[in-house]
Amino acid sequence: MKKLFRPYLAILLMGAMAATTTACDDDDEPAAESEQEMITTVTLSLVPSGKGQSVTATWKDADGITGSQQPTIDVLNLAPNTTYTGTLTILDESKTPAANISQEVEAEGDEHELFYTTTVPGVTIATTDVDKNNRPLGLKTTVTTTATGTGEVRILLKHQPGQKGATSDPNKGETDIDVKFNTVVQ
Amino acid sequence: MLLITGQLATAQDMSETSATDLADAEQDCGLTLSGKVMDHDTRQPLVGATILIVEQNKATMTDEYGNYHFHHLCRGNYTLKITYIGYEEERISFRMSTSTVRNLTLHTDARMLHSVEITGSRMTEQPQASETLSGRELAETRGLSLGESLKRLSGVSSIQTGPNVSKPVIHGLFGSRVLILNNGVRHEAQQWGDEHAPEIDPLNADEMKVVKGAAGVRYGSDAIGGIVLVNPRPLPDSTGLNGEVNLIGSTNNRMGAASAMLEGKLAKLPPLSWRVHTSAKKAGSASTPDYVLKNTGFEEQNLSATLAYRQPRFGSEVYYSYFHSKLGVLSSAHIGSPADLFNAIQRKQPEETGDFSYAIERPYQDVTHHLLKTKAYYQTGDLGQLQLTYAYQQNIRDEYDKHRPRADGQAELHLDLATHSTDLAWEHKPVGNFSGSIGVGTLWQNNTYKNRYFIPFFRNFTSGVFWTEKWRKGNLQLEAGARYDHKDLQIRKRENDSTVIRPEYAFHNLSGSFGAMYDLGYHLTLSGNLSYASRAPHANELFAEGVHHGTATYEQGDPNLKSEHATNAVATVNYHSNRRLNGEVSVYRNFIQDYIYLQPTGEVIQTIRGAFPLANYQQTDATFWGVDLSLQYNFTDRFMLESKGSLVRAENSRDGSYLPFIPADRIDNSLRYQLGTMGSGRLTGTYVSLGALTVAKQHRADAQSEPFILPPDGYFLVHAEAGTTVKIGTQLLEVGITGNNLLNTTYRDYQNRLRYYADEVGRLLMFRVKIPLALLKN
Repeated sequence: MKKLFRPYLAILLMGAMAATTTACDDDDEPAAESEQEMITTVTLSLVPSGKGQSVTATWKDADGITGSQQPTIDVLNLAPNTTYTGTLTILDESKTPAANISQEVEAEGDEHELFYTTTVPGVTIATTDVDKNNRPLGLKTTVTTTATGTGEVRILLKHQPGQKGATSDPNKGETDIDVKFNTVVQ
Repeated sequence: MLLITGQLATAQDMSETSATDLADAEQDCGLTLSGKVMDHDTRQPLVGATILIVEQNKATMTDEYGNYHFHHLCRGNYTLKITYIGYEEERISFRMSTSTVRNLTLHTDARMLHSVEITGSRMTEQPQASETLSGRELAETRGLSLGESLKRLSGVSSIQTGPNVSKPVIHGLFGSRVLILNNGVRHEAQQWGDEHAPEIDPLNADEMKVVKGAAGVRYGSDAIGGIVLVNPRPLPDSTGLNGEVNLIGSTNNRMGAASAMLEGKLAKLPPLSWRVHTSAKKAGSASTPDYVLKNTGFEEQNLSATLAYRQPRFGSEVYYSYFHSKLGVLSSAHIGSPADLFNAIQRKQPEETGDFSYAIERPYQDVTHHLLKTKAYYQTGDLGQLQLTYAYQQNIRDEYDKHRPRADGQAELHLDLATHSTDLAWEHKPVGNFSGSIGVGTLWQNNTYKNRYFIPFFRNFTSGVFWTEKWRKGNLQLEAGARYDHKDLQIRKRENDSTVIRPEYAFHNLSGSFGAMYDLGYHLTLSGNLSYASRAPHANELFAEGVHHGTATYEQGDPNLKSEHATNAVATVNYHSNRRLNGEVSVYRNFIQDYIYLQPTGEVIQTIRGAFPLANYQQTDATFWGVDLSLQYNFTDRFMLESKGSLVRAENSRDGSYLPFIPADRIDNSLRYQLGTMGSGRLTGTYVSLGALTVAKQHRADAQSEPFILPPDGYFLVHAEAGTTVKIGTQLLEVGITGNNLLNTTYRDYQNRLRYYADEVGRLLMFRVKIPLALLKN
């Protein structure tokens, strides 16, 4: 008799195991994404030397790189024959309060560099701040306009840990920001 | 044991005696049949060989000179069956009208003389193309990952992410389309990811078998590309305590690996047997001929334990295995934008190289896999055997980004997949010429993630029922099977506006197969197989959304995808057991209706890191076809040439365009010399071999299939192997050395996802020692 029961015992044992491991059945929902290195907002603020109006242009993608929402991009409206002092603010507004990424970039200035290029005729952009090694950083700029015209201003932030050498190279390192503003000088 | 099998086979044949040609028989019944039985090659007489006249159930044995006689035979058609241990069984049919002298020759059975070299021998089990890696060939891969080991089989390649992540590709298909069975259990992990290597310890495997082509009937209808079966060795069947230690070391990445195994069976309680196995690996960064591949080290720890209680009528088994690996990803392969990828391609070598190091830095993967399996069998009288398997698996995958750890220390991407599966099958004993099995299976799965979205939460319940039968008579074997699977998929996905959507899916998938195998005689076997399999779309294909950093592409799923259906035909010719030339050629065609793939749309998605090309999961029809070839030519008993080659062609059947990641044409040729026993018996099984792998450039690609850069050039690599078994006192030691890329060739492989960034690994020598231990005998 005793022997007869053994196979069933073995199967029962398995059944018990199945039951215990299935027990942990929860019905939780996915939590909101929490990206460490998210950047949502880039704002270029320009203050003219002398008279004239201050200008700001914002490039914002509220759900960051992984989301499907389209970004909102301001047009950068500049006056001709003006010299502006530029400041770039980088934020992560998916966090509350918003994380100030430009402060992080400044603190890690020897690993970062911002590059400004433009297709607008007569516009020049020069970086004015430096990192602790006296190498250009690019959160502060001078923007100079001459004649009227239209084009784009491209802002590129590169993360170059241990690679930021004696010469600036926008093709080195990893891209953190690569945005373009449609620009009108009139 | 062999004798018994032989006799059993004879007894069976006697029962299936066919009708004799009675018409002629009455006329003359005083005929004599006689002759000599000899070895086909040496012409030596074989003493004690059995000759059976199948139609008459008359048997005789050869005498001390190899001669045999049958007297008082009638005129008619006869079939002779000649058997002799160590030789292939031979059947000869002829018509007898006068007394006849017939000399018979037998071929040595290659499989029995070299019992460890089963690979490449004739497959008698199934008409579907399959190949096995075991014995010497498996030993030569010790220290490599599962994906790299399987590359030795023709028709199998691998998709890689740098030197330490490798996934098997069968006839051009991989990922969710290739099923891996680890110790009889469907391996359930995040298989959809190209950079997710199978979480299986190859050092615990005694045999790896690949079934090529759609094979959905037995283990789930989604096996559209094929099945990889990884089997540990069977538990001991004699009492005692045995062990085994393996030590492996390699140059280049300076890998060290060790494994230890203990197994036993108690004399006091013979039904009980057990085994524990553990292994560990640690490797540093690999090097190309010119630079170090920074941060490509890895480490792996494994543990498994089995306990079995086996009686003739019933038995059960509990198996647990733990797998953990941490592997670095090439630092320079982490890019922020398509512009970065363009720069990396222009650069021709990674931005960061550095010196050799064992350190694993960010970015890296940390993966843990638990498998708990219980299995029971019960003999249902004389009718057959009932088998019940239950398995629980948990797969935890943590992926860490390159920069700035999170404040909470968690992985940027955390995936957790839990799976319960059951399989109940009843194998019935042969009824007439039929044998087969029928069964049901279920699979319940729950997937969650933390921090970054890649695939949604999902719950999957699949249940299936199958039936297969095999019919065998004489030289012909037929096989047919069918399966139905019902899959319920419940998704939970957080949308941008923070609402959670819960779409639900139900898929009905069918699969079936029909195969035939015919033994033509003359050492030639023909087989053909037609199969059908269906795969439901994965949660990834339905709901992917976001940037894939490895490919600088914004991937978007399609919630409206349907199942894909494969119709696969394969024909195989096998020429075997010959003294000189043996080989197998297999031709296949796999048509996949509604094939799910990632199609670049030509549009871009604006992100703060630039414009990313958008690719959508779409469906089309795809055709895969090709040829697998394996040949062996023995110049002498000791010196042989082995060739293995494969061709794969694939196209989008709707517009004739190319499909990405299709393996390039390849052939591997090697010369092997077996020195046999040397040093007055101290060294046995000694061999050396030298070979070359030639891989062509994949020309079947264009800017549509490869938008960033066209496939790299072909390459030619030289490899060599040597091995022997040393006897020191009573202790045996198996030692071996394998050398890959001996000419230190610089090359890139099309199926390596990091081909944009870096070259392949340079020269690598791998040393191995296996120490079998007989600790206790009773």
